[in-house]
Amino acid sequence: MKQLVKKEFTFTALPLCYLFLLFSGMTMIPGYPIAMSSFFLCLSLFQSMMNSREQNDLSYTLLLPVSKADVVKANYLFCVGMQLLFFLLCAVLTAIRAGFLSETAVYTQNAMMNANPAYLGNLLLVFLSFNVLVLGGYWKTGYALGKPFVYFSITAFLIVAAGETLHHIPGLEWLNATAGHWGLQTTVLLLCAIAYALGSRLAMKKAQRRFDKVDL
Amino acid sequence: MGPVLEVSGLCKQYPNFSLKNVSFSLEKGHIMGFLGRNGAGKTTTMKSILGLVHRDGGIVHVLGQDDTGSDVRRHIGYASGGAVFYPRKTLAQITALTRSFYPDWDDAAFAHYLEVFRLDTGKQIRQLSEGMKVKFQLALALSHGAELLILDEPSSGLDPVSRAELTDIFRQLAAKGASILFSTHITTDLPGCADDITYIQAGEIIASKPLPAFLADYADCDGLEAIMVKLEKEEIQL
Repeated sequence: MKQLVKKEFTFTALPLCYLFLLFSGMTMIPGYPIAMSSFFLCLSLFQSMMNSREQNDLSYTLLLPVSKADVVKANYLFCVGMQLLFFLLCAVLTAIRAGFLSETAVYTQNAMMNANPAYLGNLLLVFLSFNVLVLGGYWKTGYALGKPFVYFSITAFLIVAAGETLHHIPGLEWLNATAGHWGLQTTVLLLCAIAYALGSRLAMKKAQRRFDKVDL
Repeated sequence: MGPVLEVSGLCKQYPNFSLKNVSFSLEKGHIMGFLGRNGAGKTTTMKSILGLVHRDGGIVHVLGQDDTGSDVRRHIGYASGGAVFYPRKTLAQITALTRSFYPDWDDAAFAHYLEVFRLDTGKQIRQLSEGMKVKFQLALALSHGAELLILDEPSSGLDPVSRAELTDIFRQLAAKGASILFSTHITTDLPGCADDITYIQAGEIIASKPLPAFLADYADCDGLEAIMVKLEKEEIQL
């Protein structure tokens, strides 16, 4: 298992995945739907999966002394690992933007989503939809990636749009607050984190069961 | 000691094709030519042995164990004439990755086979000829101490000299104790190297026996090619 995960990070992954971690920097852009940054990371993961499919990665990997379930798990661990790394970078930048730079004019007059714990929760929901729709869809066949990515793209845009819209609804302004309301926002983040952890795990288990039935 | 590979009653149903009760066994140090025309079921049988295709029925024993889980697969080497993976990676990169999965990896053996096969580890897979690709796969398989080699049409697309080289290598490996299941539809590869012949036709095994006995059964035919043509013509007439 350890070797499979190492293979995912060091051999199969495109350098693009690591480069696109820089999109976490979008957290600092004022007047922009910053949660879209999560979509760009997912795009790089999708590109990496397409590349490994074109390189016949499965033909190679499944002839190694490994189980099909572990191959799926390693892929999930890679994606989750990259997502958490991205999340961590965004969390650090959120702390900077909402802490040291909170009084900066461009942030106080920001019409779009602010960087706060609710924003971080929004990122996790986009990642969850990737893990369920793209990874889940791919491991159903071991080759089909197009449709799952289309479904994910639509879902991701809806999640980001919801994040940008909800705080305009009276009574939900606290979702976009940069000061105060930390308890509520942290609760949102915590719920999203639980959904991400449980949803990703369930999606992985389902993908393992599905892929076990695939004839190669 | 029992056979290295024992396949018994293997069945697999597809919408337009099925493997029907495929049974044969391969002894240690033997080379079995797995003969049949294109689409006869050779690759499906091999994939079933490797656990890449689910069996609808039947038993596969590899080295005495009744499945092809990851433990057993440590002792199996696979090479295919058509298999190309990671074409832009170098042999050295793929070797480094592969060796990390095998605790019994033998660097000295790998260096030996690199020399024997005249492989340059600095080259990318896509820069190798078809024959060299098969040789590289063999070098990987042999360096993790594979006791059973499953070779799916390794000689397809090779020139006669490379095919002769390969069959020589198979004989040397068998002499060292490796067992080889070698599928092909090129009958000229087999007389100089195979101990046994298993003939598959439309998903059914119609013969599995030592090569001399197989040839004796068709004494009226001049060699394997003539036997194959005769068998396939009979099948079409049926």
